[in-house]
Amino acid sequence: MTEAIYPQVRIVSARFLRPDTVEQLLNRLVQIGGILRMSLTGQNLPATVPYGPARGKPNPHPDRKVIHVGDQDVQLQVQVGAVILELEDESYIPAIEEAVDEVFASKDFSCAVQKGRFMKSQPTVSDYAKYGPDADREILGLVDPRKKGGPVIIQGNK
Amino acid sequence: MNEVKENMAYKPQYGPGTSTVAANRRKQMDPNQKLEKMRDVTDEDIVLILGHRAPGAAYPTAHPPLAEQQEPDCPIRKIVTPTEGAKSGDRIRYIQFADSMFFAPCHPYQRTYTECYRFRGIDPGTLSGRQIVECRERDLEKYSKELVETELLDPARTGIRGATVHGHSLRLAENGMMFDMLQRSVLGEDGIVRYVKNQIGEPLDRAVAVGKPLDEKWLKAHTTIFHSLGGSAYRDDQEYIEYVQRIHTLRTKYGFLPKEA
Repeated sequence: MTEAIYPQVRIVSARFLRPDTVEQLLNRLVQIGGILRMSLTGQNLPATVPYGPARGKPNPHPDRKVIHVGDQDVQLQVQVGAVILELEDESYIPAIEEAVDEVFASKDFSCAVQKGRFMKSQPTVSDYAKYGPDADREILGLVDPRKKGGPVIIQGNK
Repeated sequence: MNEVKENMAYKPQYGPGTSTVAANRRKQMDPNQKLEKMRDVTDEDIVLILGHRAPGAAYPTAHPPLAEQQEPDCPIRKIVTPTEGAKSGDRIRYIQFADSMFFAPCHPYQRTYTECYRFRGIDPGTLSGRQIVECRERDLEKYSKELVETELLDPARTGIRGATVHGHSLRLAENGMMFDMLQRSVLGEDGIVRYVKNQIGEPLDRAVAVGKPLDEKWLKAHTTIFHSLGGSAYRDDQEYIEYVQRIHTLRTKYGFLPKEA
């Protein structure tokens, strides 16, 4: 949550993505540069069975993997359905569209790049009540700020 | 299996509609129509997926067999023949399904109707995204086999899920499988779907193969789900709409003693 309004885009595919497709897409996006914040959204893949008779037992899931993006390892915790990006300026958008087209050219489903506001721009009263006044505004609205383990920082090439 | 008695006062119609979806629904509900068998699954496989007892183990009982216990003098008990499971005093156990909105061959309401017409001694529970059916364990295994082997199930778009059912309304995965947080069934390299966990998410000792996912064309021809995007739209089936509107009007007016013109 910064003072300036940066352009945001959302990359939404018609299917949930496999970890290797996510890796391919993200590496392509990282090459383009100009990304300030990135969030992977989708359905949660918990490490243990959350409820039911098997509650608490380990939940091995083939899509809960560590992928390598840029120079960092990223532990996937969701089945990726959309990627939200915050950019330095709008000039990067055509390159992102091109990259997405390139990655999804060989797939038999489509993927769209949408422009708009997808990240929370102001903390709400509920956020204040839940997380207090000192919550990290960079990640508020993207993930739970109380979550252990901060964001993965991928160094830019500037 | 039930059969419709010939001396019934009316011939059941099972459902309205002129679309293929409506015809598929009628076909599944009508106990005189045989469901197409799509795959072979052994009895042991079913027991493994259900996860209620170890394969080969005796059926635990909830009460002594009916033959060994004193039955009260009840006219209803004289009319109704007990099912095999009830006769031997089995426990009540369940199977639960989640059906993807992307043209799964069956869906919760349809399952309940189908089961009520086809099976005896069952207690189905219908929810928006899942459908559970409870009955005596012995009967359950017999019914489950039919539910899994026939055209009511597609390995990719139907999930046998006792808990953590979320996924029926989500996008499919890249390989065409319905989302499952616990990934009970996995699509192998050879194109065959295998259950690696039982319905509540406990890993199985051996994978249970349930065959190849059915193709899009088959699914669209056999689905019982109206879908305006890519399938047949509900609004295009005039007869269905008319019927539902009639029922809706009648039940709304019910308190005022409706009389049809």
